[in-house]
Amino acid sequence: MKAFIRKQRYLIDFTLSSLLRRPGKNLGLLVVYSLIVFLLASVMLFTHALRSEARLVLADSPEIILQRMVAGRHDLIPGSYLEKMGRIRGVIGKHGRLWGYFYDPAVQANYTLMVPRDRQLAEDEAVIGAAIARTRGVSRGDFLTFRSTDGNAYSFRVSAILASDSELVSADLILVSEQRFRTFFGIPEGYYTDLVLNVRNPKELRKVAEKLTLRLPDTRPILRDEILRTYDAIFNWRQGIVFVLLTGTILAFVIFAWDKASGLSAEERREIGILKAIGWETSDVIRMKFWEGAIISLSAFLLGYLTAYGHVFYANAGLFEPVLKGWSVLYPEFRLTPFIDGLQLATLFFFTVFPYTVATIVPIWRAAITDPDTVMR
Amino acid sequence: MLLNPAILALSIVSFVVACMMLLATGFGLQVVRHWDIGSGSELQLTMERRTYLISTLVAFSFMAELVALLLFIYNAEQISSQFVGAMCATGVLNVDPYGWPTLYLKIAIFFSGAVWLTLNHVDNKARDYPLVRVKYGLLLLILPLVIAELVLQTRYFLGMDPDIITSCCGSLFTPEGQGVAAELSGVEPGTAMLLLTVSGAAALLTGGWYLFQRKSGIAFAVTSLTTFLIALLAIVSCVALYIYEHPHHHCPFCILKEGHDFMGYYLYIPLFIATAMALGAGAIAPLRNITSLKEIIPAESRQLIGVSMLFMLLFYLVAAYAILGSNLTMVEVWW
Amino acid sequence: MRKSDLFILYLGTLSGLLLLSLVDAGNRSHLATQQLAETRREVRALELTDLSLFTEARYTRHLSQSDRHTPFQDHPLALEHFPSGSLVAPPTLLRSGR
Repeated sequence: MKAFIRKQRYLIDFTLSSLLRRPGKNLGLLVVYSLIVFLLASVMLFTHALRSEARLVLADSPEIILQRMVAGRHDLIPGSYLEKMGRIRGVIGKHGRLWGYFYDPAVQANYTLMVPRDRQLAEDEAVIGAAIARTRGVSRGDFLTFRSTDGNAYSFRVSAILASDSELVSADLILVSEQRFRTFFGIPEGYYTDLVLNVRNPKELRKVAEKLTLRLPDTRPILRDEILRTYDAIFNWRQGIVFVLLTGTILAFVIFAWDKASGLSAEERREIGILKAIGWETSDVIRMKFWEGAIISLSAFLLGYLTAYGHVFYANAGLFEPVLKGWSVLYPEFRLTPFIDGLQLATLFFFTVFPYTVATIVPIWRAAITDPDTVMR
Repeated sequence: MLLNPAILALSIVSFVVACMMLLATGFGLQVVRHWDIGSGSELQLTMERRTYLISTLVAFSFMAELVALLLFIYNAEQISSQFVGAMCATGVLNVDPYGWPTLYLKIAIFFSGAVWLTLNHVDNKARDYPLVRVKYGLLLLILPLVIAELVLQTRYFLGMDPDIITSCCGSLFTPEGQGVAAELSGVEPGTAMLLLTVSGAAALLTGGWYLFQRKSGIAFAVTSLTTFLIALLAIVSCVALYIYEHPHHHCPFCILKEGHDFMGYYLYIPLFIATAMALGAGAIAPLRNITSLKEIIPAESRQLIGVSMLFMLLFYLVAAYAILGSNLTMVEVWW
Repeated sequence: MRKSDLFILYLGTLSGLLLLSLVDAGNRSHLATQQLAETRREVRALELTDLSLFTEARYTRHLSQSDRHTPFQDHPLALEHFPSGSLVAPPTLLRSGR
């Protein structure tokens, strides 16, 4: 065992000296390699953290939401549906929900107006999300004026701003009183945007949903499970798309690695020739080349991952923000909570180190079987 | 189909490994037909050179498959939240009929890889490549496994549909159910533990016998393999219950979860390593009469068997810890 | 000091940093439990269903509530042109090829 370790250490010594003899070339490889790991790792850490956070946060959203569909479109639902559905076993509470969108031409952004059930607001009062406050430059006590559908202008006094800690879910919210909501949008009394049903036992959800579709055929129930799975699927899909796009980059890198490993310079060829002439075996040369690959791969993997970690969790993924933001004017400012597991690391490893190693096996072998006399002559 | 990086990575690995194994087997065929160590012909020289490439390729493939096996299970565990009804890897493997066969094939490839690598290691130590035909002949047998795994895994991933309602471990691993899983869970915990103790003792005895007498390496491999199977049975029928501290939960995958301190990994990893090494030792045992291997095989076998026994002991210790450290007491009921 | 020692030291440092990142992740998610609980409370109180990540259009704002089964969201032949809309997975029915 001791002899084995000593041998490997000498091999590492030798490999490092040999790598340092061509600093430019190897450093270039290391930089490109690390950059690829960095890109993949950033995407992965970012989406995984966002997905985990979404799963955690949305686990408390309503159990069942009932939408009414008219001509295939989401429409206002009459409050009478609450009675019409009758008593359903397992449902412990039901009520209407009022919310809608408002397009603000001043900043060209969509707001989500909502009537909260957990607080009583005065008629001219509004509680706004932190992103709106930032974009419109308002603070507590200021007034916001919007033009409603009937052409009248309504003023809202900003009585509070929602905590910026929860911006991920509340960036574009404006909470208003029910009275004001109805007059502002012209929604008659007794109509709601959708209905919320509370069900205590999650095992009864599907049964309840089935009964709902039978009793109210013009409605569509949305279960909490579906909400959670929608977000899981969205982030997976996005991550998958980015990975497929980046596959091109990886392929280019693989070709680069292959080319670099097979296009040995005359000097490198002579080096291997001399090694074999002084008694190294083919397997020793392969082992040395393996160490070369391992040194570069490990360095690149660790460097790339660490910079990605810093980028995503300490620099708030600054490089991605423009892409993720899309066209939304109101974008939440949030600090992601890091969620990392072995699966992320193992997958990252497979996406980077595995292709590199595969690409270099054949060139390494080619180099290792060189005849000493053909090179040195 | 689910487009997720881990699935993408697993598919790429299987594909690349299948390609490499195809290459290696093609070469293996050539070796089996034309190898002649005494000849100095050009063909023989090329083949001798190429053996280096092939061993590297195959060794690398098996390494990749090993990591892929871990990733496969870990991934199944992770994506269980995306399927209705799935609570752990069991549900995800159940999503379509190709899930379980893929897992079995991956395990089979892992073990055959261990055997091949041992043969290769021994062969490289000898001067005259005595096992070259055996080695490359074996590749011909492993290739179908690898190809089958690629096909099944691809079908499995393609067939994954989040709308499928799958069954969770609770309904599969119950003594009242039907099928292998139910049969396994139905085994009396007492019987399972007795079998486990007996087979473990047998494996350790034959191993010890080899260490002193240099005999019966195959017996050790056979007892170890038996122990491996019985250990899986015992985990389902008894050990897992102690980890969950629940007298009716038989799942062999939920123990991999964080909530149970990843106990599953501590159980499975030593068990798999021990079995792989035992199989390797068993594979080289009958070859010790070859002249150039007379010295090498006993030394190698001793090392392999020694390490294998260590890992097996480790497995037993972990299992014992799981049972004794648990808050579940079934003394009156089972024993 | 030999080169291999330096290398082992270097690799050790990087691996140490990797472990540190895992510890840091655990630590930070632990610290964030308070904030996450706060957000959860808000989700429950206001009965929120979606993340306000993609606010550009009504059907991307509430992805889980929008009727993604309709062919055009805004008016007939309104082809999807919002960046985030194009990144949302198509319905499973379309992908499974029926």
